[in-house]
Amino acid sequence: MIKVKNLTKVFLQKNGEELFAVNDLSFEAEKGEIVVLLGVNGAGKTTTMRMLSTVLQPTSGSATVEGFDIIEQPQKVRANLGFLSGDTGLYARLTAREIITYFARLYDVSEKNILSRISEIASLLDMSDFLDKKIDMLSTGMKQKVSIARSIIHDPPIMILDEPTVGLDILTARNIIDFIHKCKNESKCVLFSTHIMREAERIADRIVMIHEGKILAEGTWEKFKNETGLHDLDDIFVHFINQSKEQEEELDEL
Amino acid sequence: MNFKKIFIIYKKELLDLMRDKRTVITAIVIPIVLYPLLMIGFTSLMIRQESKLEKQLVDVYIQDNISDENSQRISQALVEMENLRIKAENEYYENMLEDNFIQAFIEINDSLSTSGYHVFKVTISYNETNEKSKMAFERIRQKLYEVEKDFVTERLSAIQINEDILNAVDIEENNVAPPEQMLGFLLGKILPYFLIVLTLSAGAVVASDLVAGEKERGTLETILVSAAKRIELVIGKYLTIITISLITVLLNLFSMYLSFSYIISQSGVDIAEIQLPISNFVLILIAMIPLLTLLSAILLSISTYARSIKEAQSYQMPIIIGGMMLAMISIFPAFELTYGFALIPIVNFSLLFRDIMMGDFELSKFFVVVGSTIVLDIIAISVSIKLFKNESVLFRTVEEKSLKFWGKEKKNVFSVQFVILFFIIILMALFYLGGTWQAKDLMNGLFKTQIFIILLPTILVLRISRSDIKKTLRMNYTKPINYLIIVLMSIPVLLLAAVMGKLINYIYPVSESYLEGMKNLISVEDKSVWFSLFVVALVPGICEETMFRGYIINAFKKRGFWVSIIITAVLFGILHLDPFRMIPVTLLGIYMGYLLLKTNSIFPPMIAHFLNNGLAIILGNYSDKIPLLNKILEEDDISIWMALPSLVILFLLLKLFTKMNTNSIFVNNKKYIDS
Repeated sequence: MIKVKNLTKVFLQKNGEELFAVNDLSFEAEKGEIVVLLGVNGAGKTTTMRMLSTVLQPTSGSATVEGFDIIEQPQKVRANLGFLSGDTGLYARLTAREIITYFARLYDVSEKNILSRISEIASLLDMSDFLDKKIDMLSTGMKQKVSIARSIIHDPPIMILDEPTVGLDILTARNIIDFIHKCKNESKCVLFSTHIMREAERIADRIVMIHEGKILAEGTWEKFKNETGLHDLDDIFVHFINQSKEQEEELDEL
Repeated sequence: MNFKKIFIIYKKELLDLMRDKRTVITAIVIPIVLYPLLMIGFTSLMIRQESKLEKQLVDVYIQDNISDENSQRISQALVEMENLRIKAENEYYENMLEDNFIQAFIEINDSLSTSGYHVFKVTISYNETNEKSKMAFERIRQKLYEVEKDFVTERLSAIQINEDILNAVDIEENNVAPPEQMLGFLLGKILPYFLIVLTLSAGAVVASDLVAGEKERGTLETILVSAAKRIELVIGKYLTIITISLITVLLNLFSMYLSFSYIISQSGVDIAEIQLPISNFVLILIAMIPLLTLLSAILLSISTYARSIKEAQSYQMPIIIGGMMLAMISIFPAFELTYGFALIPIVNFSLLFRDIMMGDFELSKFFVVVGSTIVLDIIAISVSIKLFKNESVLFRTVEEKSLKFWGKEKKNVFSVQFVILFFIIILMALFYLGGTWQAKDLMNGLFKTQIFIILLPTILVLRISRSDIKKTLRMNYTKPINYLIIVLMSIPVLLLAAVMGKLINYIYPVSESYLEGMKNLISVEDKSVWFSLFVVALVPGICEETMFRGYIINAFKKRGFWVSIIITAVLFGILHLDPFRMIPVTLLGIYMGYLLLKTNSIFPPMIAHFLNNGLAIILGNYSDKIPLLNKILEEDDISIWMALPSLVILFLLLKLFTKMNTNSIFVNNKKYIDS
């Protein structure tokens, strides 16, 4: 599971001003649960996920992934998570099998298990035909499958997916959605980010709405509907934004 | 660090690179295919061209103005020459020569002879820039020597003297250098240059692909979230660059050896005789590895910093060009491997290579070269690792670059970008314009340089940007006591600068002509002391301080007290266009920057600058008249002894100065603000 507590990331901008990309964020994601980080571009979704995957260091606050602290034990954290994003690249000159094997070795999967694991995943994702072709030769959909295979080769208990459907056609995007449901069935913990409301609505067990680095609202889709009396997630999102603006203005007046 | 993981990364990178056409071509195909072909082709072309020139028919015109029996013997000898055709008489011979219609014009005249013997004056006109004409000239001259010898022999026998009387000294050339040393000498001059350039060019291609390339293709994040540690990634990539560079170097050495053998065998020399000892190659390889790893680490750092392959390549350019220039040093015979040079990377390897090839090197210097390179190597690789761990470097986004320097905004001319550009333009103007002016007339040129290249552009920039000049330049009042302390400090400062100069001179000896030039600058022989003081001390004090401590230092304000002082001082050092004076001048720059920021007034550094230059002039010209001063300046051991007390005095005075100026503008040492 993932526990995020008061996570904050400040970037120093060129003009010397501080930018709070992620501002005091706290939430949790359980085993067998799909949690969606929902927010517009620049809301802080990617920064949050990069901190959880230990690529970026938080300015303050902390988080644990599968019980391991992201600052103290980054190695263990990375070993326990599979990371996939919409723009993760692949090595164009290598074959799908070479890439998957490379990552398997980095994740300390034993040589014996690598072969069986690859064939298992290949049949699961229906990618046996192009396993030994160079990435350069593959279509976008095929590449996405290779990326998925790469991210789950070590069978991680946690999946972090940063807008994995961005720029994909309907069929390929569907592959991803199916894959996420499969992860849930295997009782993995899935953290998924998107700016597409409908996508969140369809797959999320729980939604964490973030805006300008802060949590706007948290809960299930049903809860949101009951609270606001609205039916469309777009409307609900706008409603929460307006609400937080009003609150800020009230604070300013005080 | 897990070595198994490093090896996994290393293996993958090699596999990836071996499938990249660019890498394979630069690292493997070019060394084993292109260079031998070029070398062999070029040599055989040269040989052929030369023999072709020798056999070429040349047209000449002979004008015999004496036409007696003897002079006709000369022209007859020329007529009998092979591949030489005498053209019909024509008075426009100069035009014909220029147009290459004839290749030489020979005029035979009488000349005065003081001893009663007849002397022919033969003028050969030819065109040096024309290969054919030059060749004709050499052949004709050779023929005329033979004719002269005949005449002399005849004259000697006429007065019954044996012609052996001319052979007073019989010179026999005996070159004791064994053939392998001769070959080593030749190879030692050019090979280091080739090796360094090739290492750099192969390493550059690989390095730019390894990190900047991953950023460009979006694979960097994927690898960062994998279970590998960053240090393992850096080391794995680092080893890859080293391996590819090493492969290139070995392939090059091998292909060069074969090409040389081929050329030598073509020229008919027995190759079996001139085997180079294998131990030399082993030594070179041992010395090459630290250098190779150093260059790889530098290239890796650049690639880590750059956002894209293209950006990495443009940052690599100056490194490659600089490396090429340093590597060329072995071609110049004047440079010897001293301990000073042994500390400069690339230069040291280049010179050591030459010494090893000639079988004549000192082991101690070998260790200094290898050791100093290893130290730099460790620094460079830790920079790479640090960069790779720095998230703002790894996730650097594309910055917006504005070229609107001349906009109305006041802020722009104080941006680092603009100041560096300004500095480079001034540097170029100084180099091209100032150099010409000073070559014409030193004093006048110096004056013009200071006013037109240094002072006026600075004022102009500030005017155009509508800055408050008085405020920017810090033309502020400061306590009179400060001036007194500065006057007192000027003496230890000057002495320390002199000692430092001597120390540098000791490590990197400079030529006599250089010292002569420096002396001319401060000596007043043909001009008055006042004039010298004006041009060499007062004017630079005002102009250079205005540019550096007045304007440039403001750009680095945000970076803190010491950083802004040091960067400005280094630029100040560079502007003096003299590698030997760079260090003392930079230290002076730091001193003057300190005076500026502590007093918040431009006048103290101006005075200090004036005093430093002025005292140098006075000491340079009057030291003869004061025996004690002369001793301090001339004798080495005394001046070294002067350094310590000077340092102590300067330190105490600086402390006093700092204390006097504590109520200044600083919040702390990291940040300071304008009053």
